[in-house]
Amino acid sequence: MTDVILEKVGKTYPNGYHAIPSVDLSIEEGEFIVLVGPSGCGKSTLLRMVAGLESISTGELRIRGERMNEKEPAERDIAMVFQNYALYPHMSVYDNMAYGLKNRGMAKNLIEEKVSDVAAMLGLTELLQRKPRQLSGGQRQRVAMGRAMVRDPKVFLFDEPLSNLDAKLRVQMRVEIRQLQRKLGTTTLYVTHDQVEAMTLADRLVVLNKGKAEQIGTPMDLYNKPATPFVAAFIGSPSMNLIDANLTEQGIKISEALTLPLSHQHRGGIVWGIRPEHLEVSDEHNADFALRILAVESLGAETLIHGKVETELGNGDPMVVRLSGPHLPDVNSLMWLTAPVLHWHLFDAKTQQRLRD
Amino acid sequence: MTVTFPQKGLPWLLLLPQLLVTAIFFLWPAEQALEQAFYQEDAFGLSREFIGLENFAALFTDPLYYQSMLTTLVFSFSVAIVGMSLALLLAVMADRVIRGKLAYQTLLIWPYAVAPALAGVLWWILFDPSMGPIALWLKSAGVDWNHYLNGNQAMILVVIASTWKQISYNFLFFLAGLQAVPRSLIEAAAIDGASPFKRFWTIVFPLLSPTTFFLLVVNLVYAFFETFGVIDATTKGGPGQSTTTLVYKVFNDGFVGLDLGGSAAQSVVLMAIVGLMTVIQFRFIERKVQYS
Ligand SMILES: Nc1ncnc2c1ncn2[C@@H]1O[C@H](COP(=O)(O)OP(=O)(O)OP(=O)(O)O)[C@@H](O)[C@H]1O
Ligand SMILES: [Mg+2]
Repeated sequence: MTDVILEKVGKTYPNGYHAIPSVDLSIEEGEFIVLVGPSGCGKSTLLRMVAGLESISTGELRIRGERMNEKEPAERDIAMVFQNYALYPHMSVYDNMAYGLKNRGMAKNLIEEKVSDVAAMLGLTELLQRKPRQLSGGQRQRVAMGRAMVRDPKVFLFDEPLSNLDAKLRVQMRVEIRQLQRKLGTTTLYVTHDQVEAMTLADRLVVLNKGKAEQIGTPMDLYNKPATPFVAAFIGSPSMNLIDANLTEQGIKISEALTLPLSHQHRGGIVWGIRPEHLEVSDEHNADFALRILAVESLGAETLIHGKVETELGNGDPMVVRLSGPHLPDVNSLMWLTAPVLHWHLFDAKTQQRLRD
Repeated sequence: MTVTFPQKGLPWLLLLPQLLVTAIFFLWPAEQALEQAFYQEDAFGLSREFIGLENFAALFTDPLYYQSMLTTLVFSFSVAIVGMSLALLLAVMADRVIRGKLAYQTLLIWPYAVAPALAGVLWWILFDPSMGPIALWLKSAGVDWNHYLNGNQAMILVVIASTWKQISYNFLFFLAGLQAVPRSLIEAAAIDGASPFKRFWTIVFPLLSPTTFFLLVVNLVYAFFETFGVIDATTKGGPGQSTTTLVYKVFNDGFVGLDLGGSAAQSVVLMAIVGLMTVIQFRFIERKVQYS
């Protein structure tokens, strides 16, 4: 069953800034949708429109078939976790969690039951009498989630809930959020600018660029078949190597001195892409091209090699290679590489759309 | 960082004007008052006689003195509560205004720039029973306004005249306090189903409590000690004793009643009150009133 529908939803701020031209998205019940994109692309704006904290300028929002545009936040049956948690500083953890239930006129013993259930689930039972300022960052994060969960809403909204935590805690909470969401089966809309978080959490991802949804799909869809160079560069770490090239009869002409053979009916300017992990080390005779090594980053489990494509005419485009395990090539030496055709991504330079293979 | 002066004399020289002002206008009169409180002086100041604590004894057995204390308390708390409530209301409204915000805020700061005596005269004219526009309007509305005869009305008048000026000050602090409340808290409360009214009383107002307490102390001190000009310009402490606050009584007994010893004893009591309030203010504001 479709739970949340955004139909041509757009936002123009009172100062005239056109933050979101038009977004279409339909979310299935229980689905975990992640909105991802660079800073300022309109993620929070979109989320806040769903929450009712920003008005919807154009289009329609429906939750369970009901139009929501004119409804107050409280009437939408959503719960939101804010980036700074927005815990009420003068209330205990218990009161923070109970506040929404009290406002809805729930009986006192029922509130107690609900709060203690959720507190137990999140390991907050010991902390119920504390004030937010007496909690660690991770504990505050949990309380914020608890406050959202006690109300048992139709939709969870998260706005970068993990960005104030340290790296280790972030990974831990990420797993926990995913497990909780699975367990509760609540439809979730989650905003982040961290693509790893996005990939690991999402059932489906929405990549936003300047207020437009560039692509909507499962993490693997986006990884394997990015629709635009923007998505290609955004999903995956390190980013896909993207090089401006020309598609000719001979193949992909990267520079005067380097053409990778390919037969394709498209002609003209393209963006050629290959992921760092898909480049393979080769030898002088079988290689497609050589890389002049500029820097080596050894991470133990993998090695990132930064360099420039080397041709007879000098150094060309920058490129990153990702190799598993430790490697220690000399800086400034040449590395011979093959780029398997199977892993190429081609985009039209003008329309920025993916070319059919 | 410390600044070192080449000569030892220069810092003292720079401090001298301030020290002189303090000595002439504060230390010397204070010392005089302390001394006088133990003497009885004749009306012309020609002779005086040491009488020990008699001035204080007379003071604390005088029902009029207690009457004046009560008047001061009623007056001060009225000024503080009325002034703070109105200022909070205005600040909440100003916080919502988007267009013309600056003009609105500037207008509200003006009253603060008007001298207290002038403010007093202004209200005295507006409420004058025979020709003041407000008094005439009240009369047409069926209220028999005459603060020269009616003690309660006189009290209302001095409260209005004193509050008016203080609203600007309170307003600025409340506005700053309101703007410091994180927007996401209000939004979270809205999602949690709290009406705007409820949001204010359960979230915003508790978070303002440090500001509120600070302003309460400041307003009480103001009403206690800085409203002489307003009272003198509007009611002169009357009718009867109905608007004679402790400070006004010092002036009245000393300069009108010419009981310099009694007046000095009252000043000493006031000094003690100032000291006490200063201690309270520092104690509590240092510790900050936390939302606990
Ligand atoms: N109240 C506002 N009035 C005008 N413009 C705004 C307002 N709020 C946000 N914007 C603009 O809208 C755009 C999108 O903002 P938004 O907060 O949605 O970005 P975001 O994707 O959440 O970014 P971040 O990752 O930094 O949080 C930005 O360019 C921002 O400057
Ligand atoms: Mg944001």
